[in-house]
Amino acid sequence: MAPLFHPGTDSLLRGLIALALGVPAVSLAGLLLLARNPLGRGFFSPREQPVEFDHRHHAGDEGIPCGYCHEGAWRSPVAGVPPTQRCLGCHAQVWNESAKLEPVRASGFDGMPLQWNRVHALPDYVWFSHQIHVNKGVGCVTCHGRVDTMAAVQQVAPLTMGWCLECHRDPTPWLRPLSEVANLTWRPPGDARETGRAVQAALDVHPRTNCNTCHF
Amino acid sequence: MPLLTDTFPLPVLQDASVAPAAREPGPVRAWRSLEEWHAGGPGREALLRELPPGAATPPEGLARRTFLQLATASLAAAGFTGCFRQPPEKILPYALPPEGLTPGVPLHFATGMEWNGRTVGLVVESHEGRPTKVEGNPEHPASQGAAGIFEQASLLGLYDAARARTARLQGTEVAWSVLREALAQRATRTDGGAGLRFLVEPTGSPLVQAMFARIQERFPRARFIPFSADLPDGSVEGTTLAYGRPLDVVHDVGRAVVVSLDDDFLSTLKPGQLRAARDFVAARRPEALNRLWVAESTLTLTGAFADERSRMKPSQAVALALALAADVGANTGHAALAGLRPPGTTLGEAQRAWVREAAKDLLAHRGQGRVTVGARQPALVHALAFAVDEALGNAPWLVEPVAQPVGGTEALASLVGELRAGQVDTLVITAWNPVYASAVDSGFAEALALAPFRLYHGLHEDETAALCPAFAPATHPYESWRDGRAPDGTESLLQPLIAPLFPGAVQEVEVLATFAGLESKSPYALLKDLWRERTGASADFESRWEAWLGVGVVPDTRAPRARARLDEAAVVAAARPSAPPSRGLELGLVLDARLYDGRFAGNAWLQELPDPVTKLTWDNAALLSPATARRLGLEKGDVARLELRGQAVEAPVLVLPGQPDDTVTLALGHGRERVGPVGQGVGVNAYRLRHLDAPWGAPGLTVTRTGGHHALALTQEHWSMDGRPLALQLTSGEFQARPLALKSLQEDHERLYPLMPMASDTHQWAMAIDLHRCTGCSACMVACQAENNVPVVGKDGVLKSREMHWLRIDRYFLGDPDDPGVITQPVACVHCEAAPCEYVCPVNATVHSDEGLNQMVYNRCIGTRYCSNNCPYKVRRFNYLEYQQREPLDRLRQNPDVTVRSRGVMEKCTYCVQRIERARLVARSARRDILDGDVRTACQQACPTEAITFGDLLAPASAVKRRHEDPRHYRLLNNLGTRPRTVHLVRLKNPAPKRGP
Repeated sequence: MAPLFHPGTDSLLRGLIALALGVPAVSLAGLLLLARNPLGRGFFSPREQPVEFDHRHHAGDEGIPCGYCHEGAWRSPVAGVPPTQRCLGCHAQVWNESAKLEPVRASGFDGMPLQWNRVHALPDYVWFSHQIHVNKGVGCVTCHGRVDTMAAVQQVAPLTMGWCLECHRDPTPWLRPLSEVANLTWRPPGDARETGRAVQAALDVHPRTNCNTCHF
Repeated sequence: MPLLTDTFPLPVLQDASVAPAAREPGPVRAWRSLEEWHAGGPGREALLRELPPGAATPPEGLARRTFLQLATASLAAAGFTGCFRQPPEKILPYALPPEGLTPGVPLHFATGMEWNGRTVGLVVESHEGRPTKVEGNPEHPASQGAAGIFEQASLLGLYDAARARTARLQGTEVAWSVLREALAQRATRTDGGAGLRFLVEPTGSPLVQAMFARIQERFPRARFIPFSADLPDGSVEGTTLAYGRPLDVVHDVGRAVVVSLDDDFLSTLKPGQLRAARDFVAARRPEALNRLWVAESTLTLTGAFADERSRMKPSQAVALALALAADVGANTGHAALAGLRPPGTTLGEAQRAWVREAAKDLLAHRGQGRVTVGARQPALVHALAFAVDEALGNAPWLVEPVAQPVGGTEALASLVGELRAGQVDTLVITAWNPVYASAVDSGFAEALALAPFRLYHGLHEDETAALCPAFAPATHPYESWRDGRAPDGTESLLQPLIAPLFPGAVQEVEVLATFAGLESKSPYALLKDLWRERTGASADFESRWEAWLGVGVVPDTRAPRARARLDEAAVVAAARPSAPPSRGLELGLVLDARLYDGRFAGNAWLQELPDPVTKLTWDNAALLSPATARRLGLEKGDVARLELRGQAVEAPVLVLPGQPDDTVTLALGHGRERVGPVGQGVGVNAYRLRHLDAPWGAPGLTVTRTGGHHALALTQEHWSMDGRPLALQLTSGEFQARPLALKSLQEDHERLYPLMPMASDTHQWAMAIDLHRCTGCSACMVACQAENNVPVVGKDGVLKSREMHWLRIDRYFLGDPDDPGVITQPVACVHCEAAPCEYVCPVNATVHSDEGLNQMVYNRCIGTRYCSNNCPYKVRRFNYLEYQQREPLDRLRQNPDVTVRSRGVMEKCTYCVQRIERARLVARSARRDILDGDVRTACQQACPTEAITFGDLLAPASAVKRRHEDPRHYRLLNNLGTRPRTVHLVRLKNPAPKRGP
């Protein structure tokens, strides 16, 4: 009588067990990695917009300060996208016949808003406020990157909870004087921590890490 | 299973039972339902369970296997990237930014809401143009910062998808401009308006009154007929009898002795009562209590709050008032009053004693008392109360009538006569739903068809709209320009918060303006012109107008006190031929404590709000006393046939302890037939028993069993804290005799493990709820629902104890079921410092913050419900199904600062942490700390009697700290060692000193 199992069966079984355990483990690990890297989260990919608005030109060349258009960042949870009227404040005079600006003029005339594509989106169960960050010395560039070098804005930070907590637990390397908050090219003179500590003391910075700080 | 109280007797209760003197033997037993009282009866088993059977059953119609298949399929379809990448979103900035608006920062606008002809000033929060929360206006005399259930819930009515959208003419849909043309044509007439009739709701609005006057001037023979289901108001007829002309009575009950005859002023259901409740409770300081005497024909919140309560049949009020007047008259030298006698055997011994003692108390506090009478009582009772008040030097606060036109049910009767005689060619109805809400014998619904042209202006396509070929959809108050007057006459401007959601909607003023010949002007222009005229076109009108709009009140417009002399002889003369007492069953009709006259029947928040007294949701019921129910062989849920003068309805029975014997009380406002999906066919239409000459009920009712049964969605046994008496009440004598009686409920007991320290030394949040001030009006519940996006679960859900209210109000009866005491106790998450829920969560979804909050993290919650199991206070709520409404209109309403929870997630009171964080943000950005008073929770803000205090225990001299140190404070279930951050304060009673036997 031939043996019920031939000699390779043990190896086959071991292989199968390894697969049964390994595949879920590897896929789980893969998913977790994916959830944390640019590929999974879709950042570092410039987002197309209905109007080819170029921050390189406006923020970079012309040196228009961030707060000129995103003034809400200083006094509201949301930084805000400027109303069409503000675009037309200049573009009624300059480039007022450019075909690229046609949607802007149309919005100005018929009062219907431009529909921009959101680049930095947090989940709905997160409550985030620009106001407190900007008023406590966190610079625009810290989360949004060098917007003045982007043709189309893209997300440069993971915006995950772990990333938020990193700074909330130890904010000193990231703080800057209030005067430099909107300065995209500012670098701390010397040790970043030293500057940060001075700012922390001056602005009374005490970031919180309780769940209810952001989730309610 | 023995009750925990048997194993671990609560120390304070044991003490009370051996307390020396003062008290009748034995502690008063507290209970929530008759089933609980008769322990061992059929409800006993249910009481020992956390949730009723079926609470956790899956939804029907979708088998588990099908559900799993669907779930798997949708997972595959969505793809894994759905787990990480946010779905694409659009940002739509303003094209032209509104002035003064920063996106993300809510604005607040002063406006108001009118019903019962009077206005309550409100402040409405607006997020980028969407009204999201209604709050009281602190500057307005009828609100003083508080807001009742109707004001709060009116927000849901604004976003009601069942609202009427298009105008109709001759039954076909037309644009408003076409309808307006037709109206203008009806207004070009030469007969002086002989066939022109307006059926309107009495209103205090100067603008609408000016329209009335202008139309009257143009058409001298036109008539305005007042109609509202809250008419007739006995006080108007009472002032006519006593003072010779109709006057308004302003409730001023902030007095040392208040005697109420069927006046439920603490329920805060009508404008002016928020103020009355605050005044009354302010005069009830624990150190110097006033005394409330209530005789009432059904159990109400005011009766529950009374120091001395007496049950009476509705018809006995006359006899009580006569006896009171006689007692007071005899002791004040008013011979005419002293000569009054109640007819022979009308009053029982207990009632006579009640009157004697109340009179004695009033006489001992001359000039500091008040006799107040409910609107349902006839003119004579009001007039007698005025006579008593005047005799005692408690002159009532009278003002010339705020609302016009003045009138009762006779006005509608005469209109029906004219309709039948064919004298009316054009009938314009702006009053709310007269076909539904008119008396059954008025014949209005049939006579209406005799008017060739009849226009109805209403918010919904309701019962009246069905009979009117011409229809104009109304704007919601938050979409309209108007003005209004508070009960004390103070004028205010009511501004819109949002453009009409349904563009076809028009305002009442626009309809009237077509008849006034002013159709070319917008309501805004009409309003502004009127006020410019009223101020004599002063040069600084524009700036004053802006100021009025900003504050919501026109300064110095309170009406002067009316000069009126009481005609005692007329009152006494009217009292002579008093009717003999009635025998048998009596019907009492009341305005519903949640739906008012039925206008809020389409409002899901109000439908699901438990009635403050009966704890009934999604229904009305015939209320019977235990003795009467026994006699008639009826039990809770039995369907009975109520027959009065040949008219009958079939209504489920609810046995209500404290209800007077032989009195059946049924609330109006239910049983709507055309109201939209929410209120359709909910409850029983009590208007079918309403008669013109007996608008608030009558004797001669017959009640028979039908054998049917109806499931009543009662919440009184839900979330029971194991039968322990938790709402504590002491008489002031007891409390003063033993101020340390509560010590064991205030101090920590020994514990096995040390407490986890609270890290923050800047803030420690806490709340205190003063039962001494809580009337149980439920304004806090609706405020919480609006602020925190709390969903509604429907009647089936409530029957399974799945209601989602974060804040509930427990109502306990005390003592004898026939005539019990009542106490109400708001309970929300008490934020235990040693929270039992936190130990058992397997995923750390509920954890403690350094500032003492018990945090609930929705995105971590996997729905095991262990926390709810382990919560001794039963304050956690689970989303068994996807309850949240995600229709576009519903999404507009929701508070953007609060996460909208989905199925399978636990939730509970957060101490309005979104308000804490908003306040923190503003304060810290300005480089300061949150100050005491910066954060007010929604429930605290709405409370008319300031029963709820919230704040920081570390702030020196904060209000909440004071209450936490008050000798009356106690911790709920202190023996469990949970150290709750919300403490309750004992309610004190001030019963009249008992005389000898």
